[in-house]
Amino acid sequence: MSKATLPRNTTRQAEGLQYGDVARTLHRFSGAAIIVFVLVHVIVQAVRQVPMFAALNAGAPWLQTMQEQNWVHAILFFCIAFHTLYGLKLLAGELGFTIRYQTAFWGIVGVSALFGLREVLRYAGI
Amino acid sequence: MPTDIKMRAEIRRYDPSVDAEPHYETFEVAGQDNWRVLDVIRSIYERQAGDLAYQFACRVGRCGTCAVKVNGVPVLACQERCKPEMKIEPLTPFPVLRDLVVDRSEIEARYEQHAYAPQRKTEYAGGPEPIDPLLAEDLCHKGSCLACMVCVSGCPAVEERAFDGPAFMLKLRHMAEHPADSGNRLEQAIDAGMLECFGCDLCTQLCPADLSPAQAIRDFRRDMIFGGSKKHE
Repeated sequence: MSKATLPRNTTRQAEGLQYGDVARTLHRFSGAAIIVFVLVHVIVQAVRQVPMFAALNAGAPWLQTMQEQNWVHAILFFCIAFHTLYGLKLLAGELGFTIRYQTAFWGIVGVSALFGLREVLRYAGI
Repeated sequence: MPTDIKMRAEIRRYDPSVDAEPHYETFEVAGQDNWRVLDVIRSIYERQAGDLAYQFACRVGRCGTCAVKVNGVPVLACQERCKPEMKIEPLTPFPVLRDLVVDRSEIEARYEQHAYAPQRKTEYAGGPEPIDPLLAEDLCHKGSCLACMVCVSGCPAVEERAFDGPAFMLKLRHMAEHPADSGNRLEQAIDAGMLECFGCDLCTQLCPADLSPAQAIRDFRRDMIFGGSKKHE
């Protein structure tokens, strides 16, 4: 097919998913989520492991329960996978590889969701 | 077969000579489901609000004049299918002259500033110049930009950062690949904020002419890394 095309004769742009907007927002959200998790993780581990904070640890028995929530790990693994893969996709584009934005979006979301699901299954013992 | 539908269009009204602030007016329109947004606007203008300012020219998606935002998404009004509920607004971030009409003088000034004509090393000899047919096809495709500013309006980087916008980058890339052009288009693109682009491809998705300004930006960035911009060299 020739590259020179006439404009589309009907569009439904205002109804569809704005892939770029969703991907960009998810990229930012996942980056922020990773940073927040690392910060909270460092603090919680300090409270739980460092003898100096033993008193604090004794007063917060819910820390152990919080650490065992599978959905937290599922979200975290989704975020790590999405952030990494989307970042690599941006890099690949700048190095000259052409990836269609819809394919890239659904591919990255799908693979990231598998990482999240893996955590849920791991906690379930499957 | 088109079916009759009732539509509710909320239009942003603003006349700087009368209104202190913009406001929204709601109109009920009886039409058909195959109408375009422009048909709805025209119907409102003809039957309910004769003072509504809007603009269009070709009605077939070739001129890019009728671009507006529908439910927050920039579209060509003559191409976008109508919806039962619509919020119609002028294109952002451009200054509004009245209602749905925006001031394009800054856009024109920017086009002029970027000098979108081949900057030749030698005088034009006259007559046709040899060109690789594939490159000619690519240039023809890039040259079909309507300058409707739909991509600029939708671009999140334009909203957040000092970035001229995808349409200008596409045009600069057009010139960068033009065999007769000797200007430093990469430097111009960097000065115009090319590095601020998020690479989200929203401009590609929204472009009514099926162009990809995001790819033009990626091509510029690839040139920054590997060097060279002329495909024909």
